[in-house]
Amino acid sequence: MKKRLLSMVLVFAMVASLTVGCGSSGKTKSTSAEGEKTEAAAKKDGDAASGENKEGENWKIAVVVKDLSNGWFARMETGITKFAKDTGLNAYMKGPSATDAAQQVQVIQDVISQDIDALCVVPVDPAACEPVLKEARDKGIVVITHEGSTVENCDYDLEAFNNAGYGGFIMDKLAEAMGEEGVYTTMVAHLTNASQNEWADGAVACQKEKYSKLTLLEGLKRVESENNSEKAYEVAKEVLKKYSDVKGFVGTSSMDTPGIARAINELGLKDKVFVVGTGMPNECRQLIKNGSLSYITLWDPAEAGYAMCVMARMVLEGQKIEEGTNLGLDSYKSLVVDPSNPKVLMGAGWISINKDNVDEYDF
Amino acid sequence: MNTKRILHSTEFYIAIIAALFCMIVQIKSGQFFTGNNIVDLLRSFTIPAMFCLGEMMILISGNTDVSFPAIASVSMYVVCTVFDGVFTNPLMFFLMAMLIGLALGAINGIIIAYFKFPALIVTLGTSSLCFGIMQGVFNSKEEPLGEVLYRVGEMKLFSVTNPQSGLTSDMPVLVLAMAALFVLGWFILNKTMLGRGIYAIGGDAIAAERAGFNVFATQMFIYCFSGCMAGMIGVMRATMMLAVHPNNLEGMEMTVIAACVLGGVRITGGKGTVIGAILGMVLMTVISNSLILLGISTQWQKVFTGIIIIIGTAVSAIQTKKNEKKLAVKMAAA
Repeated sequence: MKKRLLSMVLVFAMVASLTVGCGSSGKTKSTSAEGEKTEAAAKKDGDAASGENKEGENWKIAVVVKDLSNGWFARMETGITKFAKDTGLNAYMKGPSATDAAQQVQVIQDVISQDIDALCVVPVDPAACEPVLKEARDKGIVVITHEGSTVENCDYDLEAFNNAGYGGFIMDKLAEAMGEEGVYTTMVAHLTNASQNEWADGAVACQKEKYSKLTLLEGLKRVESENNSEKAYEVAKEVLKKYSDVKGFVGTSSMDTPGIARAINELGLKDKVFVVGTGMPNECRQLIKNGSLSYITLWDPAEAGYAMCVMARMVLEGQKIEEGTNLGLDSYKSLVVDPSNPKVLMGAGWISINKDNVDEYDF
Repeated sequence: MNTKRILHSTEFYIAIIAALFCMIVQIKSGQFFTGNNIVDLLRSFTIPAMFCLGEMMILISGNTDVSFPAIASVSMYVVCTVFDGVFTNPLMFFLMAMLIGLALGAINGIIIAYFKFPALIVTLGTSSLCFGIMQGVFNSKEEPLGEVLYRVGEMKLFSVTNPQSGLTSDMPVLVLAMAALFVLGWFILNKTMLGRGIYAIGGDAIAAERAGFNVFATQMFIYCFSGCMAGMIGVMRATMMLAVHPNNLEGMEMTVIAACVLGGVRITGGKGTVIGAILGMVLMTVISNSLILLGISTQWQKVFTGIIIIIGTAVSAIQTKKNEKKLAVKMAAA
């Protein structure tokens, strides 16, 4: 009986591995065929592009995002459409129907065969994109990435902001809500999370520099939400029980902010304790409107999409991208070069949302 | 005789450890035995404690299930997004989630009870499958909670305000469901033949079969029950959080299993009580919600939690060993 079972399992495993193997080899075949096709197309395109370059600018820019079904990227598309309208260039957005690295590579493969001059990518998995981005660059296509500072096969990577600057922005808003005085503390998903801790450090640094009447809670400088808004809620309650003088929270993860706001609301501390931090408009709408959440901060995907296209165009036109470059948007008017990677440029693309403008955002 | 039995039970020692810990928090912060703190703790306790019930049945039967957070999440997610706006009666949401949970539990049950595959691995697989389906098919992401359930989430039994600090805490209505579930679980395990069958299987499945218990049916029941409850608990979590978070419960299986074992549920099966599992979860909840009150910095909280879990398990393990030795001596004497 046991032997039979074992043999059944083995047979099943073999069949499974066989079919899986077949499937993947079939796929690679088709992609390589496609690759040849695109290469041929690109050669033609290369000639055409150089011809066009002399005449003037009629660039075709494709933006490939992580996931078309996500409201975040629907918002990004409005920025790209606006760019197309403002400039008269052919700029459009494509992406997989689900956040899936393999599917995204497929989409990138497809668009580079569409005679494009520039490709902007918001990668799902930066490492998985490298080969296809290299292919694109080999064909002379300009490659710009966003939220992919580790990508090597790109001309430039555009980040919405630098981490310390964003932290400072959260602090400015919190100070405004708190009336520039009182005790505050900071929350991150995990103490080991690099970017969130940099935001929190940036917020604290900004407070030390600008707001002398604000003080960081001495007993508990940083708490963890484990990226779970229920945990954030419990921790915020506990902090407020233990330290009755706390008047403000800096939330960094998008789970922290709504969790803390819910605690403030329930404890009856609205207008006495304030929270500002990263958050998504749809999720926080109710809390913003009932006054328990002062501001959520984030970067506007529409502006990021617009800025990427501007950057692609500048590269196509041979303009230099460097420290201080102006992309023509308020939040990207003076780019900062990342000291550790000269390809990475950072804007000041943060925005804050409160009850006055939350209804303008739907994601 | 009866007091002697209590003195020798694991539950008794876990209760003492929990009580001691509460006293320390009270002395250090003066905030533990306040109305609003107790309400906060109960609220935080509700969801994991309900999971304990399904998990302990599976542990008692001699298996381990790690798929219940996934079942809860996928049932909750489907109900709260696909059926959002379909029903006006909130109970329908819970009912639908229970049906989805039941179906997923039945899949676990068939694979484990019929094919006799190891439950830990099977449920690890179904767990990954559930999260995968949620991501692949339903495109899971954080969503706002629909209006009908939002209103349920805002309902409260009562509010407690601390006269000194002025802090108010609300008791969610759903604690009533937790109480009902505990009574139901206790009844099944202690007063029905089915419940006795679960213990018998955990002791020795072959002996149980020869004694006339239907092992297949009993195992099917516990996985279906656990799945069905997980579906309900998933929706409860969403209503309490006032938001739909697909990955929020991930990782809770470890807390729940730890609480059961702390409370004297034997991981190899055949032994465990509802009250023990509850006490185990009380200890886990109190620890995770009191370290800030104790003034322990975030960097050291995990170390502290680990130490208390190990002490708790050691106490219960020593107690079990003592009892076994006594039993062996008695048998040798006889």
